[in-house]
Amino acid sequence: MKFIEVKNVVFAYDAAEEGEEPKTVLKDISFEIEKGSFVALLGHNGSGKSTLAKMFNGILEPESGDIVVNGLNTKEESTILDVRKSVGLVLQNPDNQLVASIVEEDVAFGPENLGIPPEQIRQRVDSALKSVDMYEFRAHAPHKLSGGQKQRVAIAGIIAMEPECIVLDEPTAMLDPQGRKEVMDTVIKLNREKKITIILITHYMDEAVQADRVIVLDDGRIIRDGAPKKVFSEVEFLKCHSLDVPQATELAYRLSSSGMKIEGTPLNETECISAVIKALS
Amino acid sequence: MIKDITLGQYFPGKSFVHKLDPRMKIILLTFFIVFIFAARNFVSLGIMAAAVFAVICISGVSPKMYFKSIKAIIFIVLFTACLNLFYGTGDPLWQWRFLKITQSGINTAIFIAVRIIALVLISAVLTYTTSPTDLTDGIERLLKPLSVFHIQVHEIAMMMTIALRFIPTLLEETDKIMSAQKARGADFESGNFITRLKALIPILVPLFVSAFRRAFDLAMAMESRCYHGGEGRTRMRVLKYSKKDYLALGASCLIFAGVIICSIYLPATVRTGM
Repeated sequence: MKFIEVKNVVFAYDAAEEGEEPKTVLKDISFEIEKGSFVALLGHNGSGKSTLAKMFNGILEPESGDIVVNGLNTKEESTILDVRKSVGLVLQNPDNQLVASIVEEDVAFGPENLGIPPEQIRQRVDSALKSVDMYEFRAHAPHKLSGGQKQRVAIAGIIAMEPECIVLDEPTAMLDPQGRKEVMDTVIKLNREKKITIILITHYMDEAVQADRVIVLDDGRIIRDGAPKKVFSEVEFLKCHSLDVPQATELAYRLSSSGMKIEGTPLNETECISAVIKALS
Repeated sequence: MIKDITLGQYFPGKSFVHKLDPRMKIILLTFFIVFIFAARNFVSLGIMAAAVFAVICISGVSPKMYFKSIKAIIFIVLFTACLNLFYGTGDPLWQWRFLKITQSGINTAIFIAVRIIALVLISAVLTYTTSPTDLTDGIERLLKPLSVFHIQVHEIAMMMTIALRFIPTLLEETDKIMSAQKARGADFESGNFITRLKALIPILVPLFVSAFRRAFDLAMAMESRCYHGGEGRTRMRVLKYSKKDYLALGASCLIFAGVIICSIYLPATVRTGM
């Protein structure tokens, strides 16, 4: 079942200075996202991926074309709150998206805006904090938490609104490896256990391989769309669009170009090790 | 380190005063202030001073902190007391040219000093025992009736909440920018006042730029979380008056009644206010 439909979307930012051409960042993009799927959006800086992220919940409107979420067009002013209720957005910098000075009150912010009765907010806040493993920090001040913990609180704030889809715009870009792992584990858990549709915008290839589908953007166009195995098998194609491949894939690629017979496209360490063992034996 | 600054000077605790509803605390504080000002003679002021002292005792906050709050205003207290010392009427006890000290002057000086100290102490009790979040919450709910006059109570409270949330973040950032500018050879410590003031510009400019960037991000995050003003908004925490609040209200009313009676039946010590 399709959940989000992106139809012929074009978007341009206004020119920074007069006389300059407006910068077109999305050029006629169309695709669909299935309910319950885990999609990674890849692309280097300026490829338009962050712009696209802000369109899924109507923060930005397409210049032409439409984005339809669960049957609702994001251009429609009267249903925008319903769209935002079903599609949550998590931003890059966790510091800038927390509103209150106590963790649980921040998580309550979304449900409070929806006008949910107090007892139900309490339940939602508690279960949201438990699902990101931050329940014991509920009475803490956000600025005393680590980056990964703050980002998980931000995710809890979205989960408390009980969305069907969460869009994460480079959620791990400002985190250390430990925090990055915490956030990725949480995201994967939400997708598997709560069946929440995940759209992950990232430039870490090792995160993208964990998705069921990878969409690669370059210069405002979709250049590849498919399962990670398929997309990352085209190492040279990605490299000439200045994109990386996962380290394990890179190693396998270099080994096979220097004459070793590596089968398939290993995406992580375990797959790479078994492929190398197979090639050596 | 700058970021060690505690804001609002809240000292968490479990005392009777801590557990009172913030709304009740704000209301009672207002009345305490009014009655401290309304006290016209030493007996009624004495009652208020004793009440303030009693509240301090049950607040469970270390007396050291209260001394600190007095230390900050000691100059103002001494200054106003000295001025009042020479403004008395009646027979001079001591005179030097146009300066004279009279019994009524001494009385007024002591009276005013006690009054200012009592005011500062009772206000300190509120900030020491109420967390900033509770305080903004209480203010929002108390001011709610004002929205009839088109005062944007919810917006004001939201701004206060956000300000409180971002003060530590911005302080941390200031710290980072200062270190970064020092690493580039900036000098904040030498030179006269003007030079030092100018040295702050390379800190303030990046700080403002980043604050605006944060504001844009925050606005986007808030919109994404369906924020659309105070209309139709509920709160997770519901403030409820408990037995304790009514007890505090009752005790305070008794004190206030005492002050009113004393003020009516006993002669006034001072003629005017400050």
